[in-house]
Order: sequence, then structure tokens, then C-alpha cells
Amino acid sequence: MTKKQKKLLLRILVAAILFCVGMLLQILPQTAATPLYIRLILFLACYAVIGWDILWKAFSNILRGQIFDENFLMSLATIGALILGEYAEGVAVMLFYQVGEWFQSYAVAKSRRSIASLMDIRPDHANVERNGKLLQVDPEEVQLGETILIKPGEKVPLDGIVLSGSSTLDTAALTGEALPRDIQPGMEIISGCINQTGILRVRTTKPFGESTVARILDLVENSSEKKARTEAFITRFARYYTPFVVCAALALAILPPLLTSGSFADWVYRALTFLVISCPCALVISIPLSFFGGIGGASKCGVLVKGSNYLEALANTEIIVFDKTGTLTQGSFSVSEIHAIGMPPEKLLELAAHAEAFSNHPISLSLRQAYAGKIDHNRICDVEETAGQGISAIVDGHRILAGNQKLLAARGIACPPCDVADTVIHLAVDGTYAGFIRIEDMLKPDAAAAIRNLKACGIRRTVMLTGDTEVAGRKAAQRLQLDEVYTQLLPADKVERVEQLLQELRQNSRKGRLAFVGDGVNDAPVLARADVGIAMGALGSDAAIEAADIVLMTDEPMKIVTALQIARKTIRIAHENIFFALGVKLLILALGALGFASMWAAVFADVGVAVIAILNAMRALRTGSFLPPPAAAPLPTAIRKAA
Amino acid sequence: MKKSFKLTGLDCAHCAAKIEGAIAKLEGVTAVSVNFLTQKLTLEADDSRYEAILAEAKKLIHKVEPEADLNA
Repeated sequence: MTKKQKKLLLRILVAAILFCVGMLLQILPQTAATPLYIRLILFLACYAVIGWDILWKAFSNILRGQIFDENFLMSLATIGALILGEYAEGVAVMLFYQVGEWFQSYAVAKSRRSIASLMDIRPDHANVERNGKLLQVDPEEVQLGETILIKPGEKVPLDGIVLSGSSTLDTAALTGEALPRDIQPGMEIISGCINQTGILRVRTTKPFGESTVARILDLVENSSEKKARTEAFITRFARYYTPFVVCAALALAILPPLLTSGSFADWVYRALTFLVISCPCALVISIPLSFFGGIGGASKCGVLVKGSNYLEALANTEIIVFDKTGTLTQGSFSVSEIHAIGMPPEKLLELAAHAEAFSNHPISLSLRQAYAGKIDHNRICDVEETAGQGISAIVDGHRILAGNQKLLAARGIACPPCDVADTVIHLAVDGTYAGFIRIEDMLKPDAAAAIRNLKACGIRRTVMLTGDTEVAGRKAAQRLQLDEVYTQLLPADKVERVEQLLQELRQNSRKGRLAFVGDGVNDAPVLARADVGIAMGALGSDAAIEAADIVLMTDEPMKIVTALQIARKTIRIAHENIFFALGVKLLILALGALGFASMWAAVFADVGVAVIAILNAMRALRTGSFLPPPAAAPLPTAIRKAA
Repeated sequence: MKKSFKLTGLDCAHCAAKIEGAIAKLEGVTAVSVNFLTQKLTLEADDSRYEAILAEAKKLIHKVEPEADLNA
């Protein structure tokens, strides 16, 4: 609690005691004989304790030409009640108004703190090596190319490359990923992660202002500037609401008593209840708070959203268009099938891995990765690489050929025909065909689940665009159960295709939106053209953060589902708040005009609703349940034994 | 020039909106945003008259909410 809040709480307690005493005197039969002026003094004292600052603010604001603020409205309403002789009610309204204000300020402070704790990735210092000494400085003072030291438990202050030391990094604050990353010398590390085990010496590669942590903070803090339509509506609404209600109150106080023969006091009382309800604060505060909570909660899950408007658009998304390579697939080769003749598949892989032991070709790398065992260089000799064909080597005394059909054909060995969708390595041992190993760009382990979940969430069309061949594209789309696939597209074709989809969407649905998901490296134009551009695997990629509207820090397709669920929840909360706050206010206005709602109800409609709406908005922050279950430990390379 | 300030002491989001609206009408202001939650005011205005515009903005803030404080 701040000092201000403590003071107000004390005043509330004192006033509440005075009020209770006054009420008891009024109700209990034993004290009915107490003279009226004693009760009056009690109530007025109570009113002075609880309401002096409101009265003073109202007065000084009028002097500065600011009327129609809530201080003025509350003063007018309560003084009006006192003049009408409703002492208990006038005092109680002020008391409850202050109680509500206290709750509201407490709830706002609490939500500010929870949001601030989400943003708690800003490093407070950096240990920099200068002239052989270690200095602790502000991260902003560290120059590009300086060497910094990061101790266990400290946050990585700037992006850089590890010079020495090894450790594990906790990236959860940035990616929502629970598994720590192993860090070795030569690896790039990203600011905002927490160093867990060892001391790291790092050469900075970016100044603080351009480091990942500064960019993320900037992005999230400024995200509320791009307002969602719902927010803009509320701001516009609030501008007309207060003057309208005040005018209605005025009319209510004057017209009915003149036209009919009702009593002025009765209608003035009804008008006063209007004044109490006329502040639009519950709406004005809870809607942006919902969006801010949603954006903050999303960033906790490793999903950065650049503005409330994108969260709203994502919630209304009906078509999701995917890029293939690097988005739904891993973007790197791995072994998918081993077809061995005359030996176990493991043996064939072992031979292939050894034959390719000295090559740096991506295919060789994927073979060695799949083999997993240790490569004994003593078993290999006489290696000869033919560019564009493959390798010939002697392993364990046998002549191994590993490469494409051309390589084998050149030595008079025939290969069976193969599907052209993937890359295939044929092998021959001592001049005899020994089988093949199929290598492909594997689908990400959670890609199929992501598509399934998106469909379950009500996404109507899932489309894949790829520059890849027809065969490879169709195969991937079929395995993922995507609705449509377009292949052999150049980057410009992708934009055209997305525009076509957008056109079809606009004809069928007014609210529906189209999202495009890419890896952000070479699909910037499409990301920009779609209603919502989503880039994935963006941790450390500036281009992706720049181009997209929503940025997934990790490269898991399941995070799209997470983002969609957060967006839907946030919008639902915002709508709940609008309907609840407006509904209660309109209801009490109507009842008040008819004379059924007392000022007590009006105070609830004002501050009570505000507090409830704020508490509801805070729910948007809680997004933990939307995280996909932690990925299973590094997947064993899939080796499907050929039938 | 674009600068951010910390704006504390605001009671209600409505006041933040009022302040934002009032400052936006000042001459020379290109963009202004008041964020009630992050307690941040961002003011973008003519470089040459920035200080003068900032002083006027402070006056406006004081007029709407005397208890608010603007810090760099």
C-alpha cells in the first residue's frame, strides 16, 4: 500500500465508526430520544472526515474551469442528498464512493505490479572488463565489442558471443520455454536470459538499445498505443456518456415536476442517483487493462504482440496461411528412412556415416547426426569426394560408395528408381548395391498437433504456401491434414495468393481475418500483406521482429494455438467487461429514473462495477494454461525401417 | 523529437484520456500518448519548440489533475 492508500484507509475506518454510531442512534429504540442535532453532528463529522478532499478538489477544479469531473458530480450528489434531508444516505454514498476508490487504486496498483513483474527482464547492471579491471556499470554504458562477464544468477545484459566458459541459460522469461539451454564458447547469447551455472565471458555484438531485451521491452510497453477497435469505441463512448447522463439528470430534476404535479424532492433525488453513475471509469480503465494483461500474459508465454489491434484481429482469424520450410518443417535435413539390402539398417547407416565422416555437406551432417555413435577415423581411408555426386571411401577395408545415382552409375552399378520428393543417398559396398537412405526436411514434431488444434479452435481454412516441388508440398500437406496447398511459388506469387485469399474472405465474412505464419526471414512482404503477420523462431532475429505483427520467440507451431487462445480469452474478457459495466449502469439508470434504485445502488454501479471489471481484466494476465506441454526431450532421429 | 516521461498520481483512466486529448490539441504536437497503466506519457513534437510545448503540456496536466507529476 502506498502512503496515499494508507491515509485513505484510515479515514475510511474513522468515518465508518462515526457512521455506525449515527445509524445505531437512529435505529435503536432506546436512543430514539436523543436530540436530532446530535445525530446531525455525527453525520456531518463523518461527511467531513471522508469527503473533505472530494469537496475541495471539486471546488478548485471549478475555479480552473474543469467541471463535470467525478469530484464535482459526487459533491453535487451528496450535498443534494443532505439538503433533501437524507443525511444517512448522503454520508453513506460518499463513504462507499471512497471505499470503492480505495479498492480501485489498490487493484490498479496490483495489476501494475503484476505487469511490471512480467517486464522484469531488464538487466540492472553489466560487469565490463576495462583496462584489466572488472567494472559494474549500467548496461547502456557498455560499448559494442567490449567484453563483459556474466556470473551465475545474473541476467545477460547485452546480446553477444561467448568467448569462454560454459553454462546453461534459462530463457523462460523470453520464450516461456522451461528447458534451459546449454551454452558453449562461440555461441551467440541473447540478453534477458538468466545465466544459471557457470561464469561466461562474452563479447557484445550490439549496444543495449538494440539488444533483444531492450527491443522486447520497447515493443510490449508501446503495444498499447495501437488500440483495438473495442478500445477506440470505449474512448469515444466515454466522451459522450458523462455529458449525456448529466444533462439527463438535469432534465429529470426539472421537467417531470413541472409537467406533472410530482414533488421536486423526489425527482431531484432520482436525478442525483444519475449523477453518481455518470463516471465512465469502469469502462475506460478495464478495457485497456484487459488488452494490456493479454499482451503481458502472451509475452510471458514467449509470444510478443505488437498492439491490441493485432490481438483483436487474431481472435477473429478464420484463415491461417503457412509457409512450409522452416515454419511447419524444421528447415534442415534429417534421415527419414533407411532401406538396407543384405545387412541391418543400423549397419548401413554406420557405413554411410563413416564414408561421409570428412564432408561438411548438410547431407553428411544429417547422416552423422542420425548415426549418433562415435565415428572412428582410424577405420576410414582413401576418401574421395566428387562434387555433385557423392563420396567414395574405404571403411573397414571395404570400398563404400555413397551418393546419387550418377555416382553409382559411373561405376556400373544400377539403382532402383526412387520417389523424387526427397533426397536419397544410394550406397554400394564393394561394387554391390546395398540400399539407400532417404533424407528429408522433417516436419516439426508438433506441427500436426498444431494444425489439429487450430481446426478444433474453429479456424476454417488452413493453407500452405511453398516454393518446394509439387510432390514434396502435397506430401507434407497430406500428413498435416492441411485444407489446401499451393506449390512452386516464388515470393511474389505468395503475396498474390494471399491477396486472392483475402479477397475471398472479405466476400464471405465481414469480421473474419487472415493470418500468415512464416519464419520472417524471406517472407516480409507476405507478413505485411496479411491481416496478422506471425513470425516464428524469432529469438535473436531482428528481421522477423521488424516485419511481423505477432512474434513467436520459439519455433514451435503449437505457439500459434497458444497465441490464438490468449487472443480469444482477452477479447472475451474485454467484451464481458463492456456488457457487464454498461449493462449494470443502464439498468440502474433506468431503475433510478423510475424511482426504484436508491443512491446505494448507484454507488455500486459506479465504483463496485469498476472494481469487479478490473478484477475480471486481471484474468487476462493468467495465460500459463495455454502453454503447450513441454516438448519431449530431443526427438530420437526417426528411423523407419523399410518394409 | 520523441521523448517519454513518467506520469504519476493519476487517479483514473478517464483523466489520462482527458490529458491526452488536451495535449494533442497543442500546436506543434505531432503525437502524444498517455498510458494510465504503465504511467507513461510519450510526447512527439517540433524539435525547435519542444521545451515550450512541454511546459504547456505540464500546465495542462496540472489543470486536469493537480496531483499528477511529470518526471523525465
